[in-house]
Amino acid sequence: MADRVVVVGGGMAAVRLAEELVGADVRLTILADEQHAPYNRILLSAVLEGTHAADALTLRSPAWFEAHGIDLRLGARVLEIDREAREVVLVDGERIGYDRLVLATGSIPTLPPIRGLVRRDGTLHPKVHPFRSLEDCRRLESSLAEVQAQRDSEPGSEPPRAVVVGGGLLGLQVARALSVRGVLTEVVEGAEHLLASQVGPAAGAVLARDLRRLGTDVYTGARAIRMTDDGVRLDNGAVLPTDLIVLTAGGRPSTALARRAELMVGRGIVVDSTLTSVSDDRIHAIGDCAEHRRRTTGFVPPAWEQAEVLARLLRGEPASYVGLRNVARLRATGLDVAVLGDPQAAEGEVVEVTNPIAGSHRRLVVHGGRIVAAALVGDLSRVGLITQLYDRGTILGPDEPGQLLLPEAADAPTTLPDEAEVCACAGVTAGEIRACESMSQCVDRTRATTGCGGCADVVRRLLDAGRAGSRPPVPVG
Amino acid sequence: MSPVETHCPYCSLQCGMRLSGRRVPEVSSWDEFPVNQGALCRKGWTAAGLYGSRERLTSPLVRDRETGEWSAVSWDVALDRVADGIRAAQASRGPDAVAVFGGGGLTNEKAYSLGKFARVALGTSQIDYNGRWCMSSAASAGIRAFGVDRGLPFPLADVEEADVLVLVGSNLAETMPPAARHLDRLRERGGRVVVIDPRRTPTANRADLALQPVPGTDLPLAMGVLHLLVAQGAVDEDYLAARTTGWDEVRESVASWWPERVERVTGIEAAEVRALAAMLAGSPRVMVLTARGAEQHSTGSDTVLAWINVALALGMVGKRGAGYGCLTGQGNGQGGREHGQKADQLPGYRRIDDPAARAHVAGVWGVEPDSLPGPGRSAYELLDALGTDSGPSAMLVFGSNIVVSAPNATHVTSRLEALDLLVVCDFVMSETAAIADVVLPVTQWAEETGTMTNLEGRVVLRQKAITPPSGVLSDLDVIAGLADRLGSPVPFTTEPEEVFAELGRASEGGPADYSAITYDRIRDESGVFWGGERLFADSFAHADGRARMLAVEHRGAAEQPCADYPVHLTTGRVLAQYQSGAQTRRVRSLPDDGPFVELHPLLAGRLGITADDSVRISTRRGTMTAPARVVTTIRPDTVFVPFHWVGANRLTNDALDPASRMPEFKVCAASVTAHG
Repeated sequence: MADRVVVVGGGMAAVRLAEELVGADVRLTILADEQHAPYNRILLSAVLEGTHAADALTLRSPAWFEAHGIDLRLGARVLEIDREAREVVLVDGERIGYDRLVLATGSIPTLPPIRGLVRRDGTLHPKVHPFRSLEDCRRLESSLAEVQAQRDSEPGSEPPRAVVVGGGLLGLQVARALSVRGVLTEVVEGAEHLLASQVGPAAGAVLARDLRRLGTDVYTGARAIRMTDDGVRLDNGAVLPTDLIVLTAGGRPSTALARRAELMVGRGIVVDSTLTSVSDDRIHAIGDCAEHRRRTTGFVPPAWEQAEVLARLLRGEPASYVGLRNVARLRATGLDVAVLGDPQAAEGEVVEVTNPIAGSHRRLVVHGGRIVAAALVGDLSRVGLITQLYDRGTILGPDEPGQLLLPEAADAPTTLPDEAEVCACAGVTAGEIRACESMSQCVDRTRATTGCGGCADVVRRLLDAGRAGSRPPVPVG
Repeated sequence: MSPVETHCPYCSLQCGMRLSGRRVPEVSSWDEFPVNQGALCRKGWTAAGLYGSRERLTSPLVRDRETGEWSAVSWDVALDRVADGIRAAQASRGPDAVAVFGGGGLTNEKAYSLGKFARVALGTSQIDYNGRWCMSSAASAGIRAFGVDRGLPFPLADVEEADVLVLVGSNLAETMPPAARHLDRLRERGGRVVVIDPRRTPTANRADLALQPVPGTDLPLAMGVLHLLVAQGAVDEDYLAARTTGWDEVRESVASWWPERVERVTGIEAAEVRALAAMLAGSPRVMVLTARGAEQHSTGSDTVLAWINVALALGMVGKRGAGYGCLTGQGNGQGGREHGQKADQLPGYRRIDDPAARAHVAGVWGVEPDSLPGPGRSAYELLDALGTDSGPSAMLVFGSNIVVSAPNATHVTSRLEALDLLVVCDFVMSETAAIADVVLPVTQWAEETGTMTNLEGRVVLRQKAITPPSGVLSDLDVIAGLADRLGSPVPFTTEPEEVFAELGRASEGGPADYSAITYDRIRDESGVFWGGERLFADSFAHADGRARMLAVEHRGAAEQPCADYPVHLTTGRVLAQYQSGAQTRRVRSLPDDGPFVELHPLLAGRLGITADDSVRISTRRGTMTAPARVVTTIRPDTVFVPFHWVGANRLTNDALDPASRMPEFKVCAASVTAHG
């Protein structure tokens, strides 16, 4: 009898695991607590921005799971794990047995300590919006629409206002999305600069400047401490009037189930390099909820690699997770950020180009000739190449990291020597063209320009120059 | 004597040209022929350069294996020797002991006769051809998606009507220069051109958007484009519902290919992926054309399917001035794959494992359907099996220079050398002929008549313009002479027009039906399109009339860079040479500068290489040395070597596409060092 594999969670790691297990000899059950079919969570800010259709987020439809014999249960909440019986218990009391249990419970948004955020009845203040799920995104959109409708009914009133609490990747994406939609947006970040867990102060300053240029105010080194009827009060005394407060100040691994089941939990559920709980070899954890070598990640690429490794192991193939190189990219109109690895903590020589005038800051950390981390802010030239060199661990020459950060040299215009071939189709040199008096003579005599036609401009200029009696530079290439 | 209207001997454009003169023909333009309207590239203008060449073979040659010495013999002696060898091989090991290897440059008549000869006179299943290495990935994808494979399902000139033309892995400004004039006219009308190629080629220099992906990542780029089209609601849902099946699964398959992920895999900036998608989303007529750069991969057929999905999702296929097409490479790449040279096919693009197809073709041939062998090995698998316990021990080669053009060429050459009998028909002593036991000197272009099917599916007539030198026979004579000696149950005609008429009957009712085409019609109509001028306007060739959208996955190149082989190697053509160069390298008026290694200044700087330095490039399969060309037009993590000279294909990877059996010519992992 094939192993019963039960996955708790229906996020991106769980879907990847399911895809990788298609055709494997397992009976797969996925318990997803959201009602929506598994979707691409990292594009939620693009949905908010209006550049991505919400119905295009679906990663795999219920029909796909059914077609592949996977038991997908939407809205299935797991109450506890009965390790002895090897069963999970759902809130409605149903018990589901497993041979292997995979915890892919993701993370839950942290609620910052702001007075008035949670009301006496335990619900959130109506202006407050976490931003983690599709449901959160829809709720935020409908609140926004309400505010907008109210403003539209009051001619001359100013646009809606929002305060984004948290100046990390998600916070900046959400802030830009709201701003693109015409909301007056402000960002509050407790650290001394934006994106503090990824980049240094100089890069953070460039970002803050970019955001302000785009019309979004930024408060760093400031904490929101209290919700008032007027808005949000910061610990520096400022009060930001607002219609909406969006919480993006990080999340923490969702480990409650694992804790209750007495699995070892640090920041996340502690797993070894086979993604197996160190407390129970029938339980695995992948994605944001897992802690491997004292690290939790919170990004999709490592979650997917873990899903792929675990799928191989569940298929009975050897595999182990060694920890992946991560690339974090900001997806927001008008803000360019790429963070490769950990450019603040990585060991190595730093090659850095900052241009506060143009608004760019780029840092490569090089160790043993390899790019081991990088931060690119405000200028993504060669981000594709730099990412390739980072991912592949290419050993560079001593001048190369610096050259990678310099603008690509343009081909300078040069004077074509007589022996240079101008028309490749007919094999005609500049000298042969210069010897002609007109285009028609040139065509008759040399057949230049009659093949692909690509040299027509150069030929015309050579002929013009000949008539003018001079020899100005002709750009080539 | 009035000039003869004929076609260039090289690429799939089959440019019209006129030939005059008796012994050495003179090329002049044929302005009325619609495909090239009189334009030719230097290969066309100099195509007559091999007439009167001292390198021309005019007598059959037999090589003594003991001494390596060649002897000129009579045709009778040569053909007897070949027939004896065939009989000996088949007597000890059965019909499949003899293999046939054809070419995409052979006329339709020769391709057809060769397939018939293999199945009827030799009774072998072991026949394939170098076209397998040309457009088989596009062919496989086209058949699966549309139910039929015709390179371009519309005339090439339709390109000018597109609003956006996307060229994926095509450098047509160098490989088929007269076709590039269409790009200029397209842009004059306000249309835009996108070129996707790891090198910024002369074609890319004419583009409005040039993207340079990591070799082997055209597929995820297509997935990323389609992702954005879905996200923006830019797909044509009505078209998808009415004309396709499989959209739901394809849509889901691109949900996880957001631009930043595409950037990480392809090396193309997310902003550029967005720019491309935006360009496509707003355009009434989008045309996507793939070529070898996209297709010659172990993931080539999936890559083509991914781009077909983009064209279908936009509702473009079947619309005038829009859609999908493949820019075929070899002169008769299209016709060569339609008439039975392929291991799994019978004339008319019929499947050899289809009982109805077997019955029809056997009826035309006058043999029993059961006497026809089944499918054989694909080109590379066939070569790989030569001289092994289970593979053929003798092989006849027509129109192909395997030693230069096969991937992993050192290995393939060792397989050729392991044969008991290798016979090569050619008109010069190619690198493959040089290791043969028997070389048969055959006619070349302009010395014989035959039809070719160009990249548009237009059947054109190459008319005989001059008398061949004495001592030279046509491939059709070789086939008939051998069939006769081997006691073939049916005779083989050597008259091209008769062969063509028989081909028409054999193809009748098949996917590529030539039965209504005659030499006279071709002359009168500037060529005749099989299947009609434009396909897919109302329906596709599947039984339900719908196109299939097939979800594909990114697997990546079979060989990825590593510490020992840290760069990507890609290969391709230069303007002045064609294929293995057996012809063009011998034309004196074409510059033959030899091979070179193209690399970026960043990489050159890392390795201490400057322009013209000797560079050694190695892969897991071989090594070659050539001078460096340091250019800013190539990706810094990629090197390029042209494949017209021996050496490039010693490096290339023989990993095969699972569907098309296309080898991965276009990418492998290599190391590059300064040499000496």
